[in-house]
Amino acid sequence: MSTEETCCSHEKSAHPCGENHSCGEKIALVYGALLLRLWLAVRAIQTGIEKYSGTNLSDQPVKVDGVPNPQGLTASESVKEYALTHYHGVPGALMKKFEAEPIMMKMKFALPLYDKILGPALLVLGITILLGIASRTSLFLLGLLYISLTWGLILIKQDDGVSWLGVHMILIVMALMLSAHNRLCILKKW
Amino acid sequence: MNPQPNNLSRRDFLSRTVATAGAGLVLGAPNILRAATGGGSDDLHVGLIGCGKQGRVLFEAMSNIPGLHFQSVCDIWDYNRKGGAGKVKSLQGHMPTSYMDIDDMLSKEKGLDAVVIATPDFWHSPLTVKCLEAGINVYCEKMMSNTIDGARAMVKAMQKSGKLCQIGHQRRSNPRYRFVLDNLINGQKICGQIVNINGQWNRAVNSSQDIDVKPNLAIKQDILNKYGFKDMQQFMNWRTYRDLSGGPISDLGAHQIDIFNWFLGALPKSVYASGGRDFFKEREHFDNVMAIFDYDTPQGGVRAFYQVLTTTSAGGGYWESFMGTQGNIKMSEQTAYTSLFREDSAPSWDPLVERGFLKKKAAPPKPEAPTGGAIAAYESKPPEGFELPGDLPVITLRDGQTTTKPPHQPHLENFFNSVRGKEKLNCDALHAFNSEAPIYWVNPSAISHQPIQFTSEHLSA
Repeated sequence: MSTEETCCSHEKSAHPCGENHSCGEKIALVYGALLLRLWLAVRAIQTGIEKYSGTNLSDQPVKVDGVPNPQGLTASESVKEYALTHYHGVPGALMKKFEAEPIMMKMKFALPLYDKILGPALLVLGITILLGIASRTSLFLLGLLYISLTWGLILIKQDDGVSWLGVHMILIVMALMLSAHNRLCILKKW
Repeated sequence: MNPQPNNLSRRDFLSRTVATAGAGLVLGAPNILRAATGGGSDDLHVGLIGCGKQGRVLFEAMSNIPGLHFQSVCDIWDYNRKGGAGKVKSLQGHMPTSYMDIDDMLSKEKGLDAVVIATPDFWHSPLTVKCLEAGINVYCEKMMSNTIDGARAMVKAMQKSGKLCQIGHQRRSNPRYRFVLDNLINGQKICGQIVNINGQWNRAVNSSQDIDVKPNLAIKQDILNKYGFKDMQQFMNWRTYRDLSGGPISDLGAHQIDIFNWFLGALPKSVYASGGRDFFKEREHFDNVMAIFDYDTPQGGVRAFYQVLTTTSAGGGYWESFMGTQGNIKMSEQTAYTSLFREDSAPSWDPLVERGFLKKKAAPPKPEAPTGGAIAAYESKPPEGFELPGDLPVITLRDGQTTTKPPHQPHLENFFNSVRGKEKLNCDALHAFNSEAPIYWVNPSAISHQPIQFTSEHLSA
């Protein structure tokens, strides 16, 4: 008797799409759904957290023969830290490129608004996906968010970034396809 | 008109050069001027004249300096004026008074302690003279003027008024530059005998393009004409016109040629320059200029080569390299471009590292062993690399972020502290003139294809 046959009471079960899966296949699909969910959640959460990262510089006067130099030269140390004051939704270098785009010039309100919501949106969606709160809707909204990022990168001709986000979109679609096998959810509805 | 090179004998020239005194000596000496109203309040009332790109750079640096109240702004372009006033409001909570005309501002504004001038070069001298005559201390951007006579008028106005006039050669107050000059070049003499200087500012074509403006933002024609501009194109691109500026050699080169003179503590005895309209063929000024200055210093002769290219960024940005028999110091306002090298034959710099003067750089990868014995025989050993032990101080911005102090801030701090009577200016108009004077002769040399031997007529204020 195979392991597959002993691990569940029904050897075959009906898939929502009409496919039948063995018990082993079901476990694989559940694992697949969880891994995808975890990957997408971690990706979104940490990206959101990094929006609040910055460097804190501290310095000391350079000492020559043990005495601080009179010219005021200082040796600085840079430490990465997280704080609300460090928040930057759209990185500064990209922000300047967007601001120079004619389309963005016509929608001047849009860029600051997007800059404000991007970080919190990534965090909220990452957390809802991680905890399994309205997973399908959360994944769908995350997909929309990545589409908006893709549009921006197309605008400033960052083709590498567009491809990178394309991979994310494939993962989101796969996660949606596996949503029937999602487990450990707080809110299964939606 | 420009004085022509004459046929002075070398002996005559040297005696005249020495007589121009001030000349070399003042380049390295600290300023003798400080505010006549020294010891006053730390709160200063400041007027901003010129709120364009450079004006914004200076304002950002000043916004980190406590005790400044920006009382008024003045700019002929309402777009800049409103922008400048808005920035002031966001800093201090209320709008400054705004003026289009300097005379209007000077007649109505009372109690100004200082003004900061960041206008096109041809306005520097008239504005500075007016403000000094009105009893106001002046910080004026370099180049002092588009003409040497304009610069001379600024020196005279400063001396006559007794007020302070600092010129914006901001490297003069930069701790990195001061540390190198005081400790490494003069103190430890790590270069040995400086025998050559190279300097450059190379900028790509796309950073040198003409600036356009939307027609609905344009200044009215009668206002443009009143203030010396033919049209809006000339207003936006004044740096490329001969009547309005000295072109790239003064626009970019002045900062660095000033460092040549300051670090050597001497003025050049001649300049030979070449320039051309190699890419921007319609411009009045040359887009590429190269100049060779000859110096006599107590250690011996020095040649300084400077190039400003506005058509290519090749060659690694902007820097000044002081090459000596024992070492080389490559300085730049950008820390990343700065490096120091010890000649293989020079005494070890390890004791200097231990004492805190230098930091050792990681050794570069060894080059492949040369295969040709004949070539190898002529090659020097690769020099040992070092770096400065520090940078500008760290400051905390209003939003709580920390950053390295902007490069213009120490020079502005020096100015305002001098107005307060607490410091001496690092680059008053006379020092700046002595250092800038040779630069006014680069374009004439390039145009005439002739070297110019300097006399006191060329260089004296």
